[in-house]
Order: sequence, then C-alpha cells, then structure tokens
Amino acid sequence: MAAATEAAQRGASVVVFDESPAPGGQVYRAPPAGYAMPADPDRLEGDALRAALAASGAVVKTGHRVWGVGGGPLVPLGEDAAPFRIDALAPDGSNSVTEARALVLATGTHERIIPFPGWTLPGVLGLAAATILLKANGVLPGRRVVVAGAGPLLYAVAAKVAKAGATVAAVVDLAATSEWLAALPALMARPDLLTRGAAWRASLTLKGVPILPAHRIVAAEGDKVLRRVRVAPLGGGEERVIDCDALTIGHGLVPATEATRAFRAAHRYEATAGGWVPVLDEDRRTSIARLYACGDGSGVRGAAAAPASGRLAALAALRDLGLIDSTTHATARSAPAANFARAARAGGAMARMMALRPALVAAIPPDTIICRCEGVTRAQIEAAVTDGATAMNQVKQFTRCGMGPCQGRMCGEAAAELVAAKVGGREKAGFATGRVPLRPVAMDALLGDFDYADIPVPRPAPI
Amino acid sequence: MDVIARRDMLTSVADDLRIAGMTRPAPVAFTFDGATFSAPEGESLAAALIACGIRRLGDGLDPARPRAALCMMGVCQQCLLRVDGRLAQACLVLVRAGMVVTPA
Amino acid sequence: MTAPYDVAVIGAGVMGCSTALHLARAGMKVVLLDRGEICREASGVNAGTLTMQMTRAALIPYALRAHAMWMRMGEWCDGGHVQAVDCPGLSVAFTEHEVAMLEERAHFRRQAGAPIEIVSTARAREIEPGLSDKALLAGHCPIDGFTSAYLTGRAFRPALLNAGVDLRERCAVRGVQPGFSIDTEEGEIRATRLVLAGGVWLQDMAAWLGITLPIKVLINQLVVTERLPPVMRTVLGVASGLLSLKQYANGTVLIGGGWQGIGDRQRGGLAVKPDSFLGNVRLAAHTIPALRDARVVRSWLGLEAETADALPAIGPIPGVADAWIIGSVHSGYTSGPYMGKLLAQAICGQAPELPLFPIDRLLAKDQAA
Ligand SMILES: Cc1cc2nc3c(=O)[nH]c(=O)nc-3n(C[C@H](O)[C@@H](O)[C@H](O)COP(=O)(O)OP(=O)(O)OC[C@H]3O[C@@H](n4cnc5c(N)ncnc54)[C@H](O)[C@@H]3O)c2cc1C
Ligand SMILES: Cc1cc2nc3c(=O)[nH]c(=O)nc-3n(C[C@H](O)[C@H](O)[C@H](O)COP(=O)(O)OP(=O)(O)OC[C@H]3O[C@@H](n4cnc5c(N)ncnc54)[C@H](O)[C@@H]3O)c2cc1C
Ligand code: FES
Repeated sequence: MAAATEAAQRGASVVVFDESPAPGGQVYRAPPAGYAMPADPDRLEGDALRAALAASGAVVKTGHRVWGVGGGPLVPLGEDAAPFRIDALAPDGSNSVTEARALVLATGTHERIIPFPGWTLPGVLGLAAATILLKANGVLPGRRVVVAGAGPLLYAVAAKVAKAGATVAAVVDLAATSEWLAALPALMARPDLLTRGAAWRASLTLKGVPILPAHRIVAAEGDKVLRRVRVAPLGGGEERVIDCDALTIGHGLVPATEATRAFRAAHRYEATAGGWVPVLDEDRRTSIARLYACGDGSGVRGAAAAPASGRLAALAALRDLGLIDSTTHATARSAPAANFARAARAGGAMARMMALRPALVAAIPPDTIICRCEGVTRAQIEAAVTDGATAMNQVKQFTRCGMGPCQGRMCGEAAAELVAAKVGGREKAGFATGRVPLRPVAMDALLGDFDYADIPVPRPAPI
Repeated sequence: MDVIARRDMLTSVADDLRIAGMTRPAPVAFTFDGATFSAPEGESLAAALIACGIRRLGDGLDPARPRAALCMMGVCQQCLLRVDGRLAQACLVLVRAGMVVTPA
Repeated sequence: MTAPYDVAVIGAGVMGCSTALHLARAGMKVVLLDRGEICREASGVNAGTLTMQMTRAALIPYALRAHAMWMRMGEWCDGGHVQAVDCPGLSVAFTEHEVAMLEERAHFRRQAGAPIEIVSTARAREIEPGLSDKALLAGHCPIDGFTSAYLTGRAFRPALLNAGVDLRERCAVRGVQPGFSIDTEEGEIRATRLVLAGGVWLQDMAAWLGITLPIKVLINQLVVTERLPPVMRTVLGVASGLLSLKQYANGTVLIGGGWQGIGDRQRGGLAVKPDSFLGNVRLAAHTIPALRDARVVRSWLGLEAETADALPAIGPIPGVADAWIIGSVHSGYTSGPYMGKLLAQAICGQAPELPLFPIDRLLAKDQAA
C-alpha cells in the first residue's frame, strides 16, 4: 500500500495486485464488508494506509491472484530487458495480463511451523493463522486453546483468546525469559509496542494463564481431531499433558521469495531475517534492474518497518525510471529511510526471537511427516542425503518433498534445516528453484473458451 | 455418502466460536457435505467451518490426511474444497447464501 | 602422479551414466564427471515418456530395446529404478490434416518395427476412456510407458558406485588436452580414453578438441497438475508429436510435448512463455477433457540437444584417437540406456549390436576423418 501510494502520488501510473478481498495484508487486514469490530491500533493504521492508497490514484486490483511473473531479465539471450509481465486471475476467474516498466514485490511472509508428531491433526492451526481468524473474522480457534511457538504473536493471540472468553490452557513459549529481557533495549525504540506487549502479558497473568517459557510442544494427540498436547522443557525434563481442542502454533515467519527466485535475483541466507532473502541495496533494489522488494517478503522486520521500506522502493523505482530527479529522490528518501531504520531495530529484535531454532528441528522424530502434501518423513529426507543428494533441488527430486500443491512453502524450512545439518549449512543446501505458477491455478480459469484451431501448435519434428 | 460434517460435529466443539460484541452481516445458509450450516455472509469459509465446529475438511488425495485449514492465508493448500463444484481454498472464499460445499 | 583412468566420461546424464556403467562392468577403470549433480539436467527433468510414437523412425529399433531395459531396470541396475510403467500409447488426430500426418507417420514407424495400428475413435476410447470424443482417429501402440524421470540420478548412483565408477559431482570440466589431460575445478585428471556426454553442452565440449559441432538447444517446457482422481491410463500424444500426457500413480498429470520456453546454454531454462504455457495446457485439456477440473502446481524447463539433421551424435570423434561422443538423441531419455550400452561395446572393441551414429556427417569437410 505504501509503495503504491508513494509512487502514484508522485505521478507514476501504478497498479497494485492482491489476492485478498481488500488491501491491507496480514497485519493491516480490513474487516469483511458488513463487519464492525472494536478498532485496535493496527486497524487504525491500516485504515489510514487504505485511505491514502484510495486517494493516490493507483489502480487497486484486489481479489487478483498473481500466478505468473515474467519479462524483465527473462528474455532470450542478447535481447534487452523486456517490460515486466504479470498474469493474474481476476475474481471472475478470467486471466488478466499487465505490463510494467518497474516491479515492486511486497509479497510478505508465510508461517514457519516446524513439524512435530500430530501436527497434521485438525485443530492444529498456525499462530499467524489464528490472528487472521480472530482479527478478520472474530472467530475463536477453539474453547480450550494452547498457544505455542515463538515471538510476539504468542501473547497477542493468547490475550485475544482470553479476552473473548475462551480458555487459554497454556502459553508454550520457545523463548526463555532471559531472551525477552535481552530484546528489551531494542524494543525501547517502540514504546507503543512495548506497552501493548506488557498489557497482553499482564492480562494473561491476571487470568492465571500458565506461561511456560523455554518449552516446546512434543506432540499433538487425538484420534480424529486434536484432544491434547504434550509439552516439555526445551532442555529436556518432565513432559506434561494439557487437554485442549485447539493448538495455535508458529515458529516464526519466512519471507515469500518465490517471485524474486523466479526472476533469479541474487539471494542470501540470513537466519535473523527469516531465511533466504533477496540481496538488496539500501533503496530496496534487487540484483535485477527495475525489480524491487520491500516489506517482510524481503526480510522479516515487522509491520511498522514495511511501509517505510515500501516508500523507499517506490522512490528508487521512480528515480530509476527518470520520473524524479536525484535531488528530489535524496530529499524524499530521508524520512522513510530514518523510519525504516528505527522500526527495523525493534522489528529485528522480534525477528531474531522468531528465527529458526535448529534444536527444534533436531528433535523431530524420524517417522514424523515433514512434507504434508507428499507425505515425506524426516527419515526419508535424511535417506535421500545418505543416497547422495546434497541440495534442496536434489532432495526434492529424490523424495518429492516440496513437489506438492504448497510447493515447499510449509515444509521447506524444516526440510532445508535437516539437509543443512548433513551438508554443512543452509547456504550449501540452497533452495528450490522458483517457477510459475506462483500459486496453484485452476486449469478451468486459465483455459477459457477455445477452439482447437486457436491452439498455436508448433511445427512437428521430422519423422 | 460418508457425512464428514456430522461425524466431526460429534467429536469436536459444536458450540458457536464467534466472538460476541461485533456487528456482523446477517447469517445465511450453506451446505457442507450435505449438512446445512449458517454463517454471516462474507465470513471466510474456512473461519465459518471452524466456527461451526468443523475442522476435518475431508480426506483429499494427498498422503497426509485429513485436510484441515492450517495457514488461513492461501499458502498451505490444506483447506482445498469444492465450492459449487469448483476447487477452491476455503480460506480465500467468502460465505455466500446457498453455496454448496463438498470435500475435494 | 596417480595412474590414469582407462576412461573419463564427462557429463552424468542418462547417456554418460549408462556408458560409464557398461564400461565399468566391462572391466574398465572409469571416472564420471559432472559440473552439477547426477542427472539434474535433461535426464532428471524430462517427461519420462517411453513412447514409440514420438521418436524418429530411424531410432525405433533402439527405442524398443531401451524400453525393455527401463522396464527391467532393477535387474541390471542393482535394484535402482525409476518407477517405470508399461502401458499402451495413443497418438491422436483432431483434424483431417493430422489424420494424414498420423497415417503417414504410423506407416514409417511400423516399417521400422513399432507395432502401431490405426484405430477408430470408438476403439481408442475403449483403450483410453478419458479421451475426448473430438478425436478423429488414433495410432495405438501397445509398447509404450513412462517413468518418473526425477528418480533417474538416484536410480543410477548405487549401481555406478558398486561397479567401481569414480563419480565426481560438482566438478566442472574446463578443457581437455590430447592424451588426455582433463582440466577440472578440482585439478587435473588423466585418462586414456575420453567420452563426451554433455547434452546441449556437447558443442562446447567438442570445441575443447578443436571440433566445430553445432548443437541446437531446445528449451522444453513441462507442466504438472496436483493429484487428481484417475482421469487417464495411457500415454497420450497428438499426431504432430507436440503433446505428451500421462497420469502417475500418485494422481499427478504431467503435460509436455516440447513446447518452447525461454532459455539457453548459458543460463539454463529461464522461464516459460505464457503463450506456450497456455497452448500446451489447452491442447492437454482438449485431449483429456477431465483435466479442465485440475489445478496446475508447477511448470519447469529443460534443455534438449539436437544436431543439424536431428539424428544422434554417437561414435568416435574424427581425428582424435580414443575420444568418443554420445548425445543429441531424439527422445533420448527413452533410448538412453541402450545407447550407452552400444557405445560401451564399441569402446571395448566389440561390434555394437546396432550401428552407431558417427558424427562425420555433421562436420565441415576439413574436419571429418
Ligand atoms: C516426472 C516428473 C514429475 C514431476 N512432478 C512434479 C510435481 O508433481 N510437482 C513439482 O513441483 N515438481 C514436479 N517435478 C519437477 C521438479 O519440481 C523439478 O525439480 C524439476 O525436475 C526441475 O525443476 P526446475 O527446472 O524448476 O528447477 P531445477 O531443477 O533446479 O532447474 C533449474 C535449472 O536452472 C539452472 N540454473 C539455475 N540458476 C541458474 C543461473 N543463475 N544460471 C544458469 N543456470 C541456472 C540450473 O542449472 C538448472 O538446470 C516433476 C519432475 C518430473 C521429471
Ligand atoms: C523437458 C524435456 C522433456 C523431455 N521429454 C522426453 C521424453 O518424454 N522422452 C524422451 O525419451 N526424451 C525426452 N527428452 C529428451 C531427453 O531428456 C534427453 O534426450 C536426454 O535426457 C539427454 O541425456 P544426456 O545425458 O545426453 O544429457 P543431459 O542429461 O543434459 O546430461 C548432460 C550432462 O552434462 C553435464 N555437463 C555439461 N557441461 C559440463 C562440463 N563442462 N563439465 C562437466 N559436466 C558437464 C551437465 O551437468 C549434465 O548433467 C526431454 C527433454 C527435455 C529437456
Ligand atoms: S488454510 Fe492454508 S491455504 Fe487455506
């Protein structure tokens, strides 16, 4: 929203695509039409961004699922870079094609869930997923909820569940109390967040919610749906059983880099930014000309930093397209650059807390399913490495791990960590090649109505 | 036909999980696996099913079953269903009056 | 300095793997070098179709023997396999023009030994109930099938190691001096004989020896759906050869046929072309209408090599003693294991069971021996 607003306000012709029904993304998500709920600070911030976007003159295409990206550097050898091309499925199911001289990617993150026995049981829900359920729909994940994982979302979700009158059976925090204390200095930059966080915790303590620091979920159990979880201290020790009908669990956020990977932009592994991220300059330029990345999709730094990075990306694009001169650019970028630096400090501390914890991966039992779409277990992934696979693309070929409908978005982190432990690091393990479609696309929508004569069948090979 | 919905209702929370104190559009009726439910128009279908106590969304064809919403943001593909005959992700579909939802 | 290898094979695709395996089994000390990992280029990303109805007529005798090898791979590859499926194949015509093409092509292939019969649409739909009723005529071949090509590297690897092949992955070759001294990223490797098995990179490899061998690069695109209930049970193609369609045991349907994407030798398979993507899936859905209900989860590209006359380059390299070449085989995955076996026979001084495809015909006059 911020990138589009900034660019459109300065006279660029801008189009924004988002697959949600309204602009906002995960944190600044708008309530569905006809809903009225008590406003929280995120909602107010989101409304302000939405209003600015609406007034900016940018064309906003919501309900559009971008499945194809192309153009730019993806042209035959020797040809000049082409305009970028975006293929999106519109809400009515038709395909829309857009060309643009510059492309800003603001694709956000998805959740990292490190598998444990029973994680595929109905009743287990992501932690970020729970915030969507609670905030956008006002629906509780269950009546007796265990909230588990890492990062500030833990306390946000727990407080919200408790406030709505359901029972929080426990908050199972991977972080030790000392880790939160260590993050305090960085959080001082954002007293508002600090206050909110403190209020969440206080409300939980008041309600007598057990908070278990440095604990993990050992297993989720139940026959057809979740009935209980087993939890244990991280360093080992006695397990306890907690009855529940919902478990919300998340182990941090992973930048969604499938588009930058498809363009073959340079990437680097940065655990504290959530994993593989595109290599960027300070104005959010990727290694590909006129391709920019901002927000958490370019490295997890949180919702406050995202709009600032979006403005930086937009300004760089305008500068590179010659729509603003260098003086204007230098002046305009100073405020968002400062905002970004400030917000990223607090966001970075939270991202560090949410970074992948190798110990959690090490604790996965051999027969636990890692890749849910393809039913691939930890033992099968490790067997592929024993059989000679050395990198993610090859493990994928040996096992089908990551070949299913989610294309490794859910299993990729755990699988890569298992491979990395054997081959000597995530850089060596690499990542799966990014390809279109960026999301599964229904053939029906793609195909449209056509005659055989419409199909441009190429010339056959000689007999 | 195996009625997943009814089976799940017996084994899961059946009381309404919608948080009180919010204004919502009027509820409309839709069916899942042959049973009729109601939810505010415009609610995410995945949320509506959870609120109705349904979390098993069917067996699907993937090895790890059953299907159940996990990410709520269109990524995990575990909430795939048929809505009026077409494949759709429940977390990206909004409830409409009379929609016919079946396991995929 | 260590003793030289009897033979160095450069390129660990299906051609290099099969050649290396058969040479090692014949008693040679073999090093197999690849700049990447085993079977991660064409041989690991191809459509795995083992069809007689797409391969060139001249290659049918080879393809028939290779088909049998794939089906019994476990027996000759120490248990390694690629989930080969033996099933009938249909090649379909939708227009009068295609009917003529189908009949002509079936005729030539039948002459070459492929048991192809022309059948009515009604008969074709008994063989393949999923087939569209818009088909006018079909070629039916009971010998057809497919593999999961992504398993090829995993299938060959243990057998190669058991046979004593020194497999060096992630070891790019930069040049070769006569004799042979092979300049690699890991230092010099010496070998008495040399086999170039570099797929589309054969052109660069031939240049190391001063040979100009133009190799055309095809950028083939493939598209795969998510799991579906059974919608088909054969390998399906169209008369022109520009469709290959099959459903795996896991329910996914692979859509291919040689539609072209963007890419090149230097950068690999870069991106699908939206028009090829759409054309290919439309052709697939036109042939198996139930595909309309599927979702596409991924597309990818691979690089296929072709010589000037689209016939293979398999044989000795003219003017360079003890240097051999193998590649550019149309439907080369199908014939691959058998071609490697033939070349190994020739290198070991035996008469190959079937003739090779010497490259003299492809070289400028002053280069041919
Ligand atoms: C029979 C079969 C069934 C399959 N089924 C499925 C399925 O159901 N679901 C699924 O997701 N996938 C499936 N796959 C495909 C699988 O996802 C891929 O691994 C596929 O084999 C190749 O994918 P890719 O080309 O996208 O990536 P890669 O195999 O990684 O290929 C990338 C290529 O690009 C080159 N490259 C990358 N970067 C550069 C650079 N900077 N410069 C030069 N070159 C570069 C690499 O050398 C390589 O050749 C299937 C494959 C096969 C053969
Ligand atoms: C998408 C696609 C679909 C296809 N579908 C079919 C099909 O359905 N049926 C069929 O029969 N055929 C099919 N083919 C053709 C078939 O895949 C190829 O003919 C066959 O795999 C070629 O094998 P190869 O060993 O010659 O080449 P490759 O498998 O490409 O192997 C060449 C090897 O050389 C290595 N190399 C290159 N340069 C160097 C260097 N400097 N140093 C060391 N190593 C080097 C590469 O890394 C590579 O591993 C298809 C091809 C593609 C691309
Ligand atoms: S719940 Fe993950 S895609 Fe819908």
